[in-house]
Amino acid sequence: MPRRDPRRARALVAAWLAASFALSAVTDWRVLAAAGALALALFARGAGAHLRRVARVVLPLSLGASLVALGLDRLAGRSGPGWDALAALNLRAALLAFLALAVLARADVLAAAERWPWATRVLVVVLAQIHALRLLATDSLLGLRSRLPRRPRAREVVRSAGPITGTLLVLSGRNARDVADALKARGF
Amino acid sequence: MHVPDGFLSPQITIPAYAVAAPLWAWAARRHFGAHAADALPTMGTLTALAFVVQLIRVPVPGGTSTHLVGATLLALVFHPLAAFACEALVLAIQALFFGAGGVTTLAVNALAMGLLGPGAGWLAFRAARGLRLGDRPAAFAAAWIGTQVSSLAIALVLGLQHALSSRYFPVPLAAVLVATMVPSLLLTGVVEGAYTLAALALLRRAKVHAAP
Repeated sequence: MPRRDPRRARALVAAWLAASFALSAVTDWRVLAAAGALALALFARGAGAHLRRVARVVLPLSLGASLVALGLDRLAGRSGPGWDALAALNLRAALLAFLALAVLARADVLAAAERWPWATRVLVVVLAQIHALRLLATDSLLGLRSRLPRRPRAREVVRSAGPITGTLLVLSGRNARDVADALKARGF
Repeated sequence: MHVPDGFLSPQITIPAYAVAAPLWAWAARRHFGAHAADALPTMGTLTALAFVVQLIRVPVPGGTSTHLVGATLLALVFHPLAAFACEALVLAIQALFFGAGGVTTLAVNALAMGLLGPGAGWLAFRAARGLRLGDRPAAFAAAWIGTQVSSLAIALVLGLQHALSSRYFPVPLAAVLVATMVPSLLLTGVVEGAYTLAALALLRRAKVHAAP
């Protein structure tokens, strides 16, 4: 659990955002690899868990999109962004995500943003909704599976996508109101 | 539609930040203050939905992708400036945690997907209402137009970058236009329209105050 020290949290979050901006401007994969090594050395505690999460969530999305884009360019006979550009892109995505996870494990973002209550409210409501949507989608899929004696086929998932999306939106709206009321009651 | 880091030079990204920063400040003051407490839950829900739908991306040749945006819905329910601020938040979370889009290109992406597209959609909705077209066709048209304007803006920015320096972006404008606009015109815009219609119907049924 991060320490609740607003000044330290603000400094760490500001340094993180500045580093993210600087790293985003780097296009050479070798520089990014060196920066990655430095980040690993600086944030060694918990690095294994953060790297596993990056490998599970960020890299498949980023690598998959890069490879499909590269394949489409090759099929179209065009010289799109080269291998080195795509390597830099994926390395940067992984590094930024690792930094975000490492900083959030060390800094209390709510404490850092307490000077700006509107920012806190927006951040909390949006992050809470993203989390709630993930949980609700998992629950909906489990509900769909439990009603069928076998694994739902693609057609069944598509057919039930409408009602599931509607339910998700309504439940998410209720959840958002609860979160916003709780924030208001706590003075945000 | 997200332009990743490294595809645009500072000649484009810095002016984009210069334009976007005051608009973000204005939007935050106008739409996220204490007076906006009642609208915040719906805004948060729709922002989270925009985040989710934008994660489902189909890559297109030329290094970018096509996907639903969900920001025109925010513009129709609240205001284009609110959509701009919410879209920037979505893009920031995506860039920092998922490697989608980028930090240096955040302002360009936000201006294209959060302001120009939803702004055009909002204007189209008002114009269609003025012509007594009916709310549903107007909302569908608004979402479709919003998607096309966002896609076109992204394609034009990439084309401009190619003209300025092909070292950053080697694909010429004509190829980017085809790769971006064809899926957008044929598929993404239609799906975005259907998504916007369905979400608006649900919001109306749930009696959300801000729904048009």
